[in-house]
Amino acid sequence: MTEPLLAVEGLRAGFGATTVLHGVEFSVNEGEIAGIFGLNGAGKSVTMKVLAGVVPSRGGRITFAGQDITRLSAEKRVAAGMGHVPQGRQVFPDLTVAENLRLGAYLLRRKDKARAASLLDGVFDRFPVLAERRDQLAGTLSGGQQASLAVGRALVNEPRMIFVDEPSAGLAPLVVQELFATLKQVATSGVTMVLVEQNVSFGLQLADKAHILQMGRIVYSGEVGALDQQALAGYLGIGRMLGGVTSSALAGRRAPSPSPAINGSAAATSAEGEDRVPRSQRRRQARATSGS
Amino acid sequence: MGQVLVLGLVYGVIYSLFAVGIVLVYRGSGTINFAQGEIGTFGLFVAWWFTTAHHLPWIIGAVAALVMAAALGAGFEWAIVSHMVEANRVSVAVATIGLLAFLVAFEVRFFEGGNIRKMVAPIRGTGWSVFGVVVSPTQILSLLAAGALAAGLALLLKKTDFGLGVLAAAQDPVAVRLVGIPLARVSAFVWGLGAAVSVLGALFIEPTIGVFTPGFASEMFIKGLAAAVVGGLTSLEGAFVGGLLIGFVEVGANRVFDFPGVKMFSILFVMLLVLLVKPDGLMEGFKFRRRALA
Repeated sequence: MTEPLLAVEGLRAGFGATTVLHGVEFSVNEGEIAGIFGLNGAGKSVTMKVLAGVVPSRGGRITFAGQDITRLSAEKRVAAGMGHVPQGRQVFPDLTVAENLRLGAYLLRRKDKARAASLLDGVFDRFPVLAERRDQLAGTLSGGQQASLAVGRALVNEPRMIFVDEPSAGLAPLVVQELFATLKQVATSGVTMVLVEQNVSFGLQLADKAHILQMGRIVYSGEVGALDQQALAGYLGIGRMLGGVTSSALAGRRAPSPSPAINGSAAATSAEGEDRVPRSQRRRQARATSGS
Repeated sequence: MGQVLVLGLVYGVIYSLFAVGIVLVYRGSGTINFAQGEIGTFGLFVAWWFTTAHHLPWIIGAVAALVMAAALGAGFEWAIVSHMVEANRVSVAVATIGLLAFLVAFEVRFFEGGNIRKMVAPIRGTGWSVFGVVVSPTQILSLLAAGALAAGLALLLKKTDFGLGVLAAAQDPVAVRLVGIPLARVSAFVWGLGAAVSVLGALFIEPTIGVFTPGFASEMFIKGLAAAVVGGLTSLEGAFVGGLLIGFVEVGANRVFDFPGVKMFSILFVMLLVLLVKPDGLMEGFKFRRRALA
């Protein structure tokens, strides 16, 4: 069996006196899309930050491409082949689209400017809207365009693996669908992906493997196809509400129904689910998602 | 009026230099280096040691002072500030006050700072009369140096990847690391450059004032800080504009009203006025216009 591209063993981390991760273990093979799922506060985003190297680990080991990177700085991890689409996009708002992309290729441009230029063309082909708006300040882009920019910024450095943290947060359902298609394309082009997504129905359609986090520990790791609704309900406490959508996601992996993100137990996804959500709450959710 | 313009320009350019140093550090680390003025004075002592005490040319003393300041700024960032990433930004500012106290003590102990010193001018000569004001060659040189610095900074920040990284680090320090830019190097560079710019300001203003003692550049620093705040604290263009404005106002007020301390009163007045009318600084409107045009 070939070695996994990313192996996480006994990872512990926290802030101050609080420990958030209590020995997280999972591995990701080359070419795979690994989804990390869990309720709010389970430690998904902290896991991503520790893997990126922006939050220090307090124990455990991270191996990437055969190299122990546990003590490497965030910058060195990027140099080793990691790319990031951070939570909230985190584009540089006062720089133009072109400047954001140039910084995305910061390391590659030092080694091979021609290669960086051709990758940049690839990004512009993939996201025509970025080419059209290359001289526009990134802070003035819509949420969906910023998401494209964040993905493009990660891709121009030719990463072996990209870490995508909550890509759908704050985006309108239609935009989420578009982003979903793009990420799928990126994955089929051979980039390994680790995805954290609170919108489980969206995440499950994209991921090959699911890793479920509960209270800072991985409680389930396995093929998404092998995950049944019962298990999902047990781990995430949302199975009944998710009803139709997750079963379609688990069975056919068809294009996702546009659905707002799940926050804790408040979920409104399928038609059945919608009936259970008071009208006023639905209006609030609609307002929250239409802002992007 | 002509005299106010000439003198305002001569002083304003120096305040601009201090303001630029303050803005660079604020953008890079979100805090204010209160030792920046004293680093300027310290640079004067170093330059004085080379030129006056050891009779070497001005340029050697100046280069030594600039290099020393850059090393001091970058070294302080590396040794202290970089370990305070999680700390409140006010704590970092207080740490820089510690550096200020240390520098004053060092000057007094090793340069016999109790004595009044005099630094030589980079260029000797009587100068030219402009609107009845004698402008010395050093003052002309300081204008040229400030212009060159502004152009150089603009080129660096917009045309090089590293410079873009400096701008980006100010906007999102975490995202900068996530694209592979060495944030530690960017931060050390910004602190080093900020310190060196202060020495440049001190070297150019000293011949106009005449003598220096420990604490000499602190007054420049305070005016530079006012200029930086007037310019919005994050805008380099604003730092230049703010510095010149403070220079004109100070010289103008001194001409119109004749009482001791009028210069400082006028600076306080301008600062309060700008903060009340345009709390985000004079340049804020330009930023929005740029966004709208894009």
